[in-house]
Amino acid sequence: MAVTDNDIIQAMREDAERGCRLLMANYKEPLYWHIRRLVVNHDDAQDATQEAFIRIFRSFNQHSEENSLRAWLFRIATNEALRLLGRQKKATMLSLEDSTAELLSLKADEYYDDGDALAARLQQAILHLPAKQQLAFNLRYYDELSYDEIATVTGATAANVKANYHHAKEKIIKYMNEND
Amino acid sequence: MDNTFDFNSVGKRMPYTVPDGFFDTIEENVMQEVAAKKEKANPGKNRKKVVTIAIRSLLATAAAVALFFVVRAVIPKADTTPVDDFASVELAFNNLSNDDQDFLLALYEEDEYIEELQQDQEL
Repeated sequence: MAVTDNDIIQAMREDAERGCRLLMANYKEPLYWHIRRLVVNHDDAQDATQEAFIRIFRSFNQHSEENSLRAWLFRIATNEALRLLGRQKKATMLSLEDSTAELLSLKADEYYDDGDALAARLQQAILHLPAKQQLAFNLRYYDELSYDEIATVTGATAANVKANYHHAKEKIIKYMNEND
Repeated sequence: MDNTFDFNSVGKRMPYTVPDGFFDTIEENVMQEVAAKKEKANPGKNRKKVVTIAIRSLLATAAAVALFFVVRAVIPKADTTPVDDFASVELAFNNLSNDDQDFLLALYEEDEYIEELQQDQEL
């Protein structure tokens, strides 16, 4: 039986350790891949994922049950990824207006599969987007979050998120066609 | 805009990989870090436990010592003055009638245990 977010919240309330394990079982992969798409490098993604989970467990009582747990978790993971990028000075003056494409190199990482050229080019196209569009695209396309949930993650309105997602898609298609 | 690129041709594939067993180990790393940070954040909790145990042990010891003195004060001291056991037995024996003395002597003469004791002493 699939574990729901409500099951996780209930478990966290009854037995913190069981709750933590349930949360990790459900979210370790989605949050890691979300962070990895932002920071690119595996080691950085691992550090940011661990820090994100520690932050999640330490501040779980701050999560309001009225809000989506998934959105709250992705917001913490996103913040951790942006914090790491900023801390490492990989993205000097990094903000949601900036693109990270020039700052990150896909092939610089040991855990990179260069056998899938099309998938690599798509990631390069995504990394060329401004961060707000990048986030909107990633969270919608890969993680299938709703526009409202993405709005919670990014602190924007759902309408803005929708616009960013469509702009991102258009730019990606253009990039892919030009770099075919 | 030329709309030839199809997202379905890539789907959710990514060029990224992870080390073998990565997702199995990251969970344990996080749980260990959470436990370590919890311990670091609440160092007083364990110290408090140790202090509580120490105070309880101290109180138990104090109670045992107090009980010892109370019992000693309440129960009268037993007379432990040494006595000359042989003299008192002889005195008691002499106070017996002749018949009783004969009876006792006859009885002990037939007692095998006393006989063995006497043989041992002779050896």
